[in-house]
Amino acid sequence: MKTRKNLFHLFSLLLLVSMVLAACGPAATEAPVVTEAPVVTEPPAATEPPAATEPPAADPMAELIAAAQAEGALTTIALPHDWCNYGEVIETFKSKYGLEVNELNPDAGSGDEIEAIKANKDNPGPQAPDVIDVGFSFGSSSKAEGLIQPYKVSTWDTIPEIGKDPDGYWYGDYYGVMSFLVNTDVQPEVPQDWADLLDPKYNGQIALSGDPRVSNQAIQSVFAAALANGGSLDNAQPGLDYFAQVNSAGNLVPLIANSALVATGEVAVRVTWDYNALAAVDTYAGNPATAVVIPATGRFAGVYVQAISAYAPHPNAAKLWMEFLYSDEGQTLWMKGYCHPIREADMRDRGVIPADILAKLPDVSGAVFPTLDQLNAASKLITENWDAAVGADIKAAP
Amino acid sequence: MAQTSLPLAPVKEPSEWKNWLGVSPFFLFAIMFIALPSLYLVQGSFFNQEGQFTLQNYLDLFTNPTIVSAYKLSIQISAATAFGGGVFGFLLAYAITIGGLPRGLRSLLITFSGVASNFAGVPLAFAFIATLGRRGFVTLFLKDALSLDIYRAGFDLYTFWGLCAIYMFFQFPLMVLIMVPALDGLKREWREAAENLGASGLQYWTRIAMPILLPSILGSMILLFGNAFGAYATAYALTGGRLGIVTIQIGAQIRGDVLHNPGLGYAMAMGMVIIMAVSLAFYSWLQKISERWLR
Amino acid sequence: MKQSSTGRRFSLWSWVWFIIGTIYFLVPLYATVRHSLRMERDVIGFKAYESAFADNNFWETFLLSNMLAAATIIASIILIVPTAYWIRLRLPQARRITEFITLLPFVIPAIILVFGLIRIYSVPIGIPFTEIKLFQPLTTTHFGTYILITAGYMVLAMPYMYRSVDTGMRTVDIRTLTEAAQSLGAGWFTIIARVILPNIRSALLSGALLTFAIVVGEVTLASFLGVDAFGPYLFLLGQHRAYEPAALSFVTFLMTWLAMGLIQLVTGGQGQAAGSH
Repeated sequence: MKTRKNLFHLFSLLLLVSMVLAACGPAATEAPVVTEAPVVTEPPAATEPPAATEPPAADPMAELIAAAQAEGALTTIALPHDWCNYGEVIETFKSKYGLEVNELNPDAGSGDEIEAIKANKDNPGPQAPDVIDVGFSFGSSSKAEGLIQPYKVSTWDTIPEIGKDPDGYWYGDYYGVMSFLVNTDVQPEVPQDWADLLDPKYNGQIALSGDPRVSNQAIQSVFAAALANGGSLDNAQPGLDYFAQVNSAGNLVPLIANSALVATGEVAVRVTWDYNALAAVDTYAGNPATAVVIPATGRFAGVYVQAISAYAPHPNAAKLWMEFLYSDEGQTLWMKGYCHPIREADMRDRGVIPADILAKLPDVSGAVFPTLDQLNAASKLITENWDAAVGADIKAAP
Repeated sequence: MAQTSLPLAPVKEPSEWKNWLGVSPFFLFAIMFIALPSLYLVQGSFFNQEGQFTLQNYLDLFTNPTIVSAYKLSIQISAATAFGGGVFGFLLAYAITIGGLPRGLRSLLITFSGVASNFAGVPLAFAFIATLGRRGFVTLFLKDALSLDIYRAGFDLYTFWGLCAIYMFFQFPLMVLIMVPALDGLKREWREAAENLGASGLQYWTRIAMPILLPSILGSMILLFGNAFGAYATAYALTGGRLGIVTIQIGAQIRGDVLHNPGLGYAMAMGMVIIMAVSLAFYSWLQKISERWLR
Repeated sequence: MKQSSTGRRFSLWSWVWFIIGTIYFLVPLYATVRHSLRMERDVIGFKAYESAFADNNFWETFLLSNMLAAATIIASIILIVPTAYWIRLRLPQARRITEFITLLPFVIPAIILVFGLIRIYSVPIGIPFTEIKLFQPLTTTHFGTYILITAGYMVLAMPYMYRSVDTGMRTVDIRTLTEAAQSLGAGWFTIIARVILPNIRSALLSGALLTFAIVVGEVTLASFLGVDAFGPYLFLLGQHRAYEPAALSFVTFLMTWLAMGLIQLVTGGQGQAAGSH
């Protein structure tokens, strides 16, 4: 019919025009370009990504603070308030420097944070994240994609080598150790180690805190289990075998454990980072009664990293944020959230950690840190083989 | 029904293209806010993780067994809940319209349906876990009061059928909300006329009411199908990713901390678009047949 | 089914379906409430509710989401009713493609939609190939962002709104109504606003209710567009608290239900009058 043909032509034309317009849009990823330091406000049409700055050695903090205050705001992403006490960290930062903080999507995963940077490359508005807090392997991959800019905080030298990029693009912020959170009202017999979880008394009671094909936390749970079962930092396969065993024993529930599920007892044993477990214990306030156990063997430390977006609309506020986080004050606030800050060794040596906070930190002696390569290799192995070993086994009834 | 024009004032028929002007705001909106953003979807599906053009993503749709079974599973769940939701939703809608229940109940169910149709994700999954999970209050009640351990008897909420049962919580209300106006449209006069001519209740339903209602019922079921097909949060909350449906796979590729092959995720989303297009074509065909009854 | 003298059927089966439905819907809700009352050990109490309501963020975000919902509903009605009407009356050829468009939001994941929207509307709109900029990007101002997110919500609600309106129009003989109104000298605006709209009130109400629930519960768009809406607030709460989320989801369920009841009361429950069987 003629109308149908006309319609088709009209639509093809419109589609073509839209595609051309979309393609003529802003440019793709570019490597960061050199720019000057304190920029006051971003003109809305600006599309230049900022670049490498020298560490403000001679530049006093006062200048940075002034520049940041001129920008007026900081945009963060993926920082839940109960994670490492970020709630207090953000509030303290706001009141100390008088800046606003736009908090985007506290639930974002590392992939979301990267997508958010990419989608907001030309957006100077409050949807573009200035700073990100991502899993260890995302540091180097976002550097490779040109999504982050380097900055060395004034306390740079006290950050251990293994936890930072030599060029200053990303830097470890805190770590935790894999632990078990147990609802002792439902399950009074607290497992002390990974091997205990195979016991039939935990039937239908154990759950991970994420999907091991997707979530950092869950992947590293499997990696941690590998250490306790004959594996090593170079061999994560035993972790998969172990969880296959736990699953076929009927002990593993396919849920993603969260606070409410542990509270009802549906998930009596939750595998999660120690700081999450300890923060949860505080919020429960005894209801239900809980215990946190760091397994006797297979102690695995997971590091997260900070970075500044290459397209940050508020680069100075971002740098000020980093200075704050890596100052003794910021690191101590993280410790209040039961996280081990990256500068812990240095701070212990100088004796600046308050005794009461120190007392609450769990004993994590013997915890091992994977290198970036080991972590990437293990993640690849686990995500690709989880389905085959344990995984997507919920199928439709025949 | 024959179309009669009133002799007094014939309706002017503007030229063809002017008709399209009338719907242009809608199409403009669709282009600006659906088509354009989706172009990134189309565009992105042709690129791999290194940023190079590739058709591999689309090839994977057909060759990668995980992805193929993901589509099968999604279609199975969507079809099952569309059908189940459609049937029981229709019965509920019938009950409060023609079925003779008190007026107040009708209001109650309609407003409740409005809320319930969007009660999904973690709160919904949690509500069911708190009811029928291993520590759900119904499970515990049956165990303590009736010594009946349903989990030992083989019941398990964390299965395909468990998820279907949960999906019904938003499928039933959706069906109710859409069918109530349609059932309202069944004029009482038709029933009375049919009875005057000697038709029995069954004949009224099969020869008059059902043919009139069928396009709406089928259309609503397609909507239910699409609703279930696109659902993500509830399935994820209940099964933690152990149920490999398409939306969860897409989420893993785009949002995940590790897998992160967005191009593949976009290609899978395009696959979903194509499936919806096919369902719609099927529905159109069904509609054409059933509409014969209305002429 | 027996027939009574008023023409209503005595409906045993209707009661059966209704009761089954009630049990199915209410039991899980009860489980949520039951959980929310147990925040303090061994005490059935409202501590979770106190804690949830003491948070100012709850009220602010809930209010904002309600306002966005109202805006979405109005804008959707303005966009969709004339379109559906026009297609029915004049342009049946467009029906298939329109239905396809209205089903697209189902299969385009919200996360892809939001990133697409950001990419396009965070850039100034200008004349291509020139330096002339016509509009500043929507995302730089709060108001602009609200417009963008309302458009996004309209997209999400489109399948439901369109389907409701279309079903409503199917049962009304719009051709005759239009001809009658035109013969009395009505223009298009009058026809749509004063003849068609009132006749499809029941359908509009369904669509509005669905849209309202969608907007208030929506999480993805609000999170990434930086809008302080209710969805992200509730989601975040659910990550780390055990009892408050259950309390809040129950309360919002109730409040939304009440709001809808009010709306129905105000619009006179048009459906009931016409639907006397």
